[in-house]
Amino acid sequence: MKTALPLFFAVAAFAQDVTREDWPQYGGGPSAWRHSALDQIDRSNVRQIVPVWAFQTGKVDGGLQSTPIVVDGVMYLATSWNRVFAIDAVTGKELWHYFYQNPREIGIIYSPVNRGVAVDSGRVFMGTLDNHVVALDRKTGRELWKTNVEDMQQCGCNITGAPLIAKGKVIVGVTGGDSAHRGYITAFDIKTGRQAWRFWTIPAKGEKGNETWLGDSWKYGGGSSWMTGSFDAELNMVYWGVGNPAADFYGESRKGANLYTDSVVALDADTGALKWHHQQIPHDVWDWDSAYECLLVDLPVNGKMRKLLINVNKGGYTFVVDRTNGEFISAWPVAKNINWIAGVNAKGELMGRNEPAIGKPTTICPSIGGGRSWNHAAYSPRTKLFYTTGIEWCQTVTVQKEDPKEGQNFFGGVFQLKMPADGGGHLDAYDPVSGKRIWTYRSKYPLLASQLSTAGDLIFTGDPEGNFFALDAKTGEKLWSFQTGSGHRGSPVTYSVRGRQYVATPSGWGSAVAGIMTQIWPETEDFPPGSTVFTFALPEVTR
Amino acid sequence: MIAVALLMAQAAADPAAVAKGEAIFAQSCSVGYCHGVGGSAGRGPRLRGRGFDRTYLVNVTRDGVPKSAMPGWKDRLSGGEIDSVVSYIMSLASATDAAPANPMPPGVGPAAVNAFKGPAQAGRGHAAFFDAQKQPRCATCHALGGRGIAAGPDLSKAASMTPKQLGAAIQATSSNHTSIVKLKNGESFPALQTGSEGGIVKLYDLTSPPPVLRSVLREEIGSIAKETGWSHGAVSKEYTAAQLADIVSYIYYAGAGTTRPVKAEELK
Repeated sequence: MKTALPLFFAVAAFAQDVTREDWPQYGGGPSAWRHSALDQIDRSNVRQIVPVWAFQTGKVDGGLQSTPIVVDGVMYLATSWNRVFAIDAVTGKELWHYFYQNPREIGIIYSPVNRGVAVDSGRVFMGTLDNHVVALDRKTGRELWKTNVEDMQQCGCNITGAPLIAKGKVIVGVTGGDSAHRGYITAFDIKTGRQAWRFWTIPAKGEKGNETWLGDSWKYGGGSSWMTGSFDAELNMVYWGVGNPAADFYGESRKGANLYTDSVVALDADTGALKWHHQQIPHDVWDWDSAYECLLVDLPVNGKMRKLLINVNKGGYTFVVDRTNGEFISAWPVAKNINWIAGVNAKGELMGRNEPAIGKPTTICPSIGGGRSWNHAAYSPRTKLFYTTGIEWCQTVTVQKEDPKEGQNFFGGVFQLKMPADGGGHLDAYDPVSGKRIWTYRSKYPLLASQLSTAGDLIFTGDPEGNFFALDAKTGEKLWSFQTGSGHRGSPVTYSVRGRQYVATPSGWGSAVAGIMTQIWPETEDFPPGSTVFTFALPEVTR
Repeated sequence: MIAVALLMAQAAADPAAVAKGEAIFAQSCSVGYCHGVGGSAGRGPRLRGRGFDRTYLVNVTRDGVPKSAMPGWKDRLSGGEIDSVVSYIMSLASATDAAPANPMPPGVGPAAVNAFKGPAQAGRGHAAFFDAQKQPRCATCHALGGRGIAAGPDLSKAASMTPKQLGAAIQATSSNHTSIVKLKNGESFPALQTGSEGGIVKLYDLTSPPPVLRSVLREEIGSIAKETGWSHGAVSKEYTAAQLADIVSYIYYAGAGTTRPVKAEELK
């Protein structure tokens, strides 16, 4: 019986992809629900939670965009400039740190942030700004191996996303969607560091899909993979969202659908072979990535249980597909100010494309920062609701002809943000399949932190003004708030040690989107940067 | 001092320099998440409506800001172009609007950093050496001309070798730089030792490209044997004989500055 237990739990944990004592993976579990079964802190007592400890990382550049990983009472935190800390999750005391030595000159346009490590097999894995993957000993922080993914200067790309672990491999994507390069997703053996497979997000000459690129444009077509994928062990598929084609705004030299940019791809976890793809935006000329999280959930569609994948794109549309084969199920918006298309039809095709003209300023909504930014959604199996943010903002895009120069910026245009009448942010609860909105929490500024859902029927997140707060998952009512002193751009988690539930959040304002926000909210230029983890729990006497 | 101040004022006020700088700025600095249209801010700081010291701006534009996203532009823009961009940024100091009403239509843009200037065969060799569509390629393990991953030996020194020697090094069945490392746990792999510090030995595992930099505890190592058993095989097969000749010609050009045509037969 004792030996059967772990297997039973593994199966149960997959069908219900919830976290318990640990927060073992970037998305909570491999299905990226960001939902915990912990319910010690709930709607009735959340007003009583108090700070337990704070941890300062000492590097505020880019803010703190991380998801802390918690395993066996130890928190593993990655920060800007590839610092990793192992922290006693009860006391906040540092156990060890590892400061990766990046080259003095980075000089590429993506932020110096890191969004998290992966922990598996007694090791901690991180992707670096100079485009390496490193493996550290979990107990000591000692470096075990380090492999270069590609020359950073040649691809104009690096790693800011957290790795995904699947089938004994550590899988990483790269930035570079705004650089003249050809994107990929690469898997390394977790023991040896040797490359296991690579999937190029743009097919080479002679491969199926290459015909969707004009001439040699596929060589510099972007297709970055800058966020973290998901894994379905039963289907043996790794899911990853692919970013925009490059140049971002100028599409004349890359006529065609530009596969597999702005697509979700399903890869064989053993070989990296493409199982299926679903392209949301053929021939993107707005810089809309489909690179955000792939949330995997089984739900009834027209009375029949389906294995679904939910992916919100930067253009502000949520696409729901069948994750066994990529079949389109539904699409629905997370923002009101969307004018780049009139809508999505029943087959998943874009209707009424509004493409910016070359050399003539065109108003496009949302702004390049996205109808939602990368900060992740959460799904609660209790409420069966999908919790995600939306942003109301617009921009003027001026497209320019641009020729690619390997590894260098490749935008093909410029943008200037514009405030619509109802500009600002919101967090909403939706029915994940129909997109029916159940409640809305409005915010003066775009909400740029991830959502955390708990079995206490609470949604935790933070705002740019430094408030970390809890909403009632059923109604959206604000139940609790705490001022952390710097804005929120990371991902809160929850865990428990010796029976006490903790909620931890990164606090630390920064990032590219925080930077461009200043174009319409000038006062945000003075919002204080920071880089701290705050941890909360019920007072010992109360629980 | 007064003369310098006058010169600076003159440079900042020169409308031709400002206009030229505006065009360069529009393509190089406004783009993407960087400084925004007319310096209206992005991931990079706002440049509009702020006063800067000219020397500071020249230095930062030329050399970049270490440990930041700001690259040095000295490889992409000429000194004159950098001066013009700085003149334009200085002219934004008095701007009171959030962004220009009529942003400059972008121009041609900065030069490519990795553009090759040199003889045709070496140029073809350079392209093959750094061909990003090939994985692996020479640059997966070797740096040359200031680019690439410097795991393997410094190839600038290889320019003293004959084409036949280079051909042998690239295509031969073994290499004299590598060892076979056997760990006490039974694991063994071909390796290139790069150094040791304290009780830790750093080795490149060359089993398959890209190389893996392993940090192994000294006590974990059973033996390090100077043995043949590793070759460039997997990588050299990525190239045709003609491409290998081009690459050798590029090694001569990059390493010694010599223009030397190389025929495929010479590598045999």
